[in-house]
Amino acid sequence: MSRRTATDRRAVPYAVLGVILALIFSLPLLWSILRAFQPNETILGTPSIPELFDLTGRNFAVFLSSDAVMLRPVLNSIVVSLSTAVLTALVATLAGYGFSKFRFGGSRLAFSLILLSMMVPFQAILTPLYLLMNSVGLTDSLPGLVLFSTNFALPFGIFLMKNTFDTVPQALEDSAIIDGAGTVRMLTEVLRPMIIPGIASSALYAFLTSWTEFLGALTFLTTERYFTLPIALLNIQVGTYGEVDFGQLVAGSVIAMIPCVILYVSLQRFYVQGLAAGAVKG
Amino acid sequence: MIGRRSLLRAGLALGAAGTGTAALAACAGTLPPVDTTASDFGTAATGGVTVWCRAATQTAIQAAAESFNALHDDLHVTVLPIPDAQYVTKLATSIRGGSVPDIVDFDLINCPLFSVREAFADITDLVEALPFRDALSAGHMGLAGYENRLYGIPFIGDYSTLFANTDLLARAGLDLEEISGSLESLMEACRALKRDLPEAAPWTFPGNASGAMGFTIQPMIWAADTDLIAGELGDQTGNVLGNDVVEAVLEFHRQLWVDELVPQRAFVEDGSQWGHDYRSGEVVFFPGAYGSAVAEADEAFRPSSQNVLLPGPTGGRATFSGGDNMCLLNGAPNPSGAWMFMRHTLELDVQRALPDSGYMPIRSDSADAAFAESYEQAVLPVTHLDEGYVPSTLAYNLLYNQSTSPWLAMIRRAVFDGDVPGAMAEAQSEYDRILTQTQL
Amino acid sequence: MTALDATTRPGPLGSRHGAGGPSPAPRRRPRSLTHRPATGVLLIAPALLLVAFFALIPLLLAVYISFTNWPLIGEYRFVGLDNYIQAVQDPGMWKALRYTLLYTGIVTGPILLLGYGLAVLVRANRRGATVLRTIFFLPYVIGLTTLSYMLVLEAQPDSGALNRILAGLGLTDGSTAWLLDGVLGTIVLSALVIWAVPGLTMILLLSAMQGVPAEVYEAADIDGATWLRRELSITVPIIRPAIGMSLIISVIGSFLAFNQFFILTKGGPGTDTTTIVGFVYNRAFVELQLGSATAVSLILVVFTALVTVVQFVLLRGSDE
Repeated sequence: MSRRTATDRRAVPYAVLGVILALIFSLPLLWSILRAFQPNETILGTPSIPELFDLTGRNFAVFLSSDAVMLRPVLNSIVVSLSTAVLTALVATLAGYGFSKFRFGGSRLAFSLILLSMMVPFQAILTPLYLLMNSVGLTDSLPGLVLFSTNFALPFGIFLMKNTFDTVPQALEDSAIIDGAGTVRMLTEVLRPMIIPGIASSALYAFLTSWTEFLGALTFLTTERYFTLPIALLNIQVGTYGEVDFGQLVAGSVIAMIPCVILYVSLQRFYVQGLAAGAVKG
Repeated sequence: MIGRRSLLRAGLALGAAGTGTAALAACAGTLPPVDTTASDFGTAATGGVTVWCRAATQTAIQAAAESFNALHDDLHVTVLPIPDAQYVTKLATSIRGGSVPDIVDFDLINCPLFSVREAFADITDLVEALPFRDALSAGHMGLAGYENRLYGIPFIGDYSTLFANTDLLARAGLDLEEISGSLESLMEACRALKRDLPEAAPWTFPGNASGAMGFTIQPMIWAADTDLIAGELGDQTGNVLGNDVVEAVLEFHRQLWVDELVPQRAFVEDGSQWGHDYRSGEVVFFPGAYGSAVAEADEAFRPSSQNVLLPGPTGGRATFSGGDNMCLLNGAPNPSGAWMFMRHTLELDVQRALPDSGYMPIRSDSADAAFAESYEQAVLPVTHLDEGYVPSTLAYNLLYNQSTSPWLAMIRRAVFDGDVPGAMAEAQSEYDRILTQTQL
Repeated sequence: MTALDATTRPGPLGSRHGAGGPSPAPRRRPRSLTHRPATGVLLIAPALLLVAFFALIPLLLAVYISFTNWPLIGEYRFVGLDNYIQAVQDPGMWKALRYTLLYTGIVTGPILLLGYGLAVLVRANRRGATVLRTIFFLPYVIGLTTLSYMLVLEAQPDSGALNRILAGLGLTDGSTAWLLDGVLGTIVLSALVIWAVPGLTMILLLSAMQGVPAEVYEAADIDGATWLRRELSITVPIIRPAIGMSLIISVIGSFLAFNQFFILTKGGPGTDTTTIVGFVYNRAFVELQLGSATAVSLILVVFTALVTVVQFVLLRGSDE
């Protein structure tokens, strides 16, 4: 009973603060979306308030028209990010299972090595990595970029999945083994319900990291045909194709923003759960 | 257990050593040189030719590739645009990795970086054999050469000239030719313009654009027969401190800023909107390029946009001989076919079509009557290719193009902070440091 | 005392029934004897191979390269410790390092405090808490890279939203070139990060906070403690590991910051807003001095690792 009084007394400040903060965090994003629909004269000029709402779809049309240089990067980004998500989820799940439930020599060492790789700034190993990838033909290719992005998201995913598997009761596994389940069946049938949130989180995390991956794509991709969205945005920003088109830049950013927002909002239950579980248990 | 762990470790170590040495071994030296002396070299080649081009100039080369492909059934040219900022590193790393394109078309100032390290094929004989050899831009050829051999051909020209809105000049009763003989007379003209045409800014420059200012302000120094760099390629020092011409040019721009003869925007303009104010008729004088002063302007504006070569403080004329060179790579998969395409790009019809993309030909014999009619502002630089210059140095990018360049720092300190001596002293030591660092 | 009894009695390692949900790391459960070690190796093999190829081997190569002069193209030469010595004497490197530390110092506190505050707001699970939580985390999800591209536009003099608002409020004339000045640029960058990143801290702290039992708070209520007092003496000590983890992640992220600086100020004017990773990038890809750049980045790796270990020790120290 005493709880309810406390709740009511706090309701108004909570609501006020909540609304203010919600505005602070969302207004800039909404503004950028509005910007993307403004013509360049408005963007580069100093229009009056009503003029701000003179909208046009021109920035997007330019961006996505079939002969434009921009549709391709969006598609490339989608393909690369989805592949990265799937691959990361797969490899991280297997590895998380292995580290969590299996005992074998060198497992501590292997796990430490994987954690160590998280601390290496990617810029430090950029050139040796390029040379290495080049020697096996992985540079300037989308599969190469997928493998690279997967590796980027992997340590976190493994961390996450290991913790997920750690919470699986041994009894569950034991009874399945007694029933004659092999590893594959164990993962895909027996343990599946318990590990789906973790898998979804790893996949989502991998997608988001890969989607905004910038320096790697810049270094490893040469052929314009393979460029991903962040690279295309960079080229717009530095005016590689002529004068800087700010309208295109902002429209491109909004396009870059959309999948993140959609995926996050619809899957946020998994994502938040996974992130919290994975980190706190460190 | 112990056996498995050490097996794992051993396997990892071996794998590491193996891939590591493979990667490093593949990037030790340079690629085998191209032999251009075969009798049928450059004729009847087949297959594909890969060209890397500057993303900024790709329209020009796409057009050339298209016309070439139409002429040849069994030889096909593919063009890959590369963003300028990553071009040098990408090229270097792929040379190291052993897989190079056939041709690179890139900013000519990058040529020395690679020709001194034997990355390009020696095509001296092929070039000298061209009937129009002497019509090729001197500035481009200078950078394509090293130790008396040639390692590239010019492809695209971008020459800086002083543009002026002659309509506005006429309103103030001024004649472009008369007043543009020196920076001194130009300064007087600017003051007169400010008096008589208060609504337009007499001059403009992009005060935060290192490369663009290098393109347009350096010729003012060269017009007086001096440069900011002294010495031969690979053994250079700065020539800033004590250089009266540099001082005069800096003072000129300082005066423009202090007397409010340039728009306020000059302080922040980083090149992303270069020429915007000139094309909208807000500015009278605009040192710039054909692209931004003519090609990007409205059709109605173009006739009033006229140009002269850039003058020095007290006289002389010069222009920045910029643009692209094309080089054949050692280790190219199809060198014979590559030369055929390179030769094609030097043809008059290809060269004459360049102004459509905003660039200019590199052959002084391209300016015939038809050309003069369509591209009148291009005639002047094209017929004065001999007065074109561009410094040959391994450090051009670091000295003039980067936002951290001493060139930009010097101008900003001299013009906006008003400290000309300090700016020059600082630039001298930075030039020396960078030039020493990039010696062979 | 049959074999059956032995397996069904609760073992010394605690109950085998029902995992405890989110809780401090579970003690190692007894491995089933039927889990073959060889399978374990197979399971981790893909991950290990990927990490080895894409991170560990390049790291070793990088160490090797840092001892050479690695020119643009052509033969390379061993130069021993020259790159390291030169780096330590390079004022440019120290400037970048100092700037990075300054930046880290500016943003770390606010990120933690703001994240903590957001978590407090959201944890009570009132109506609308989920919506708020979603909104607060959104900027982080979108990513600093995309956000930076958007901010470039708004930081432009005269036309950008930042300046328009300031001009509208009468504070300035609206022509500030935020991204062309070292101090102003740092302000803009810090503001961006402090706005975008606390969502992550919030999430990290949130589930830890929700794991604190209600009884603990009720006891304090009876004692009449103020909200702040309660937080500091009860919540903070309990969720200390989570606070520690988010601090470590935040600091490492700040040390390695690059993208937003590259996009917004390009490290300028001059090198006034160049972070240490920005310095490495310039050294490697603009000045084309790869050996030197790799040496500096390895110094950075060691530095980051050291700081992380120190943080780890300090934050876990009084627990055990």
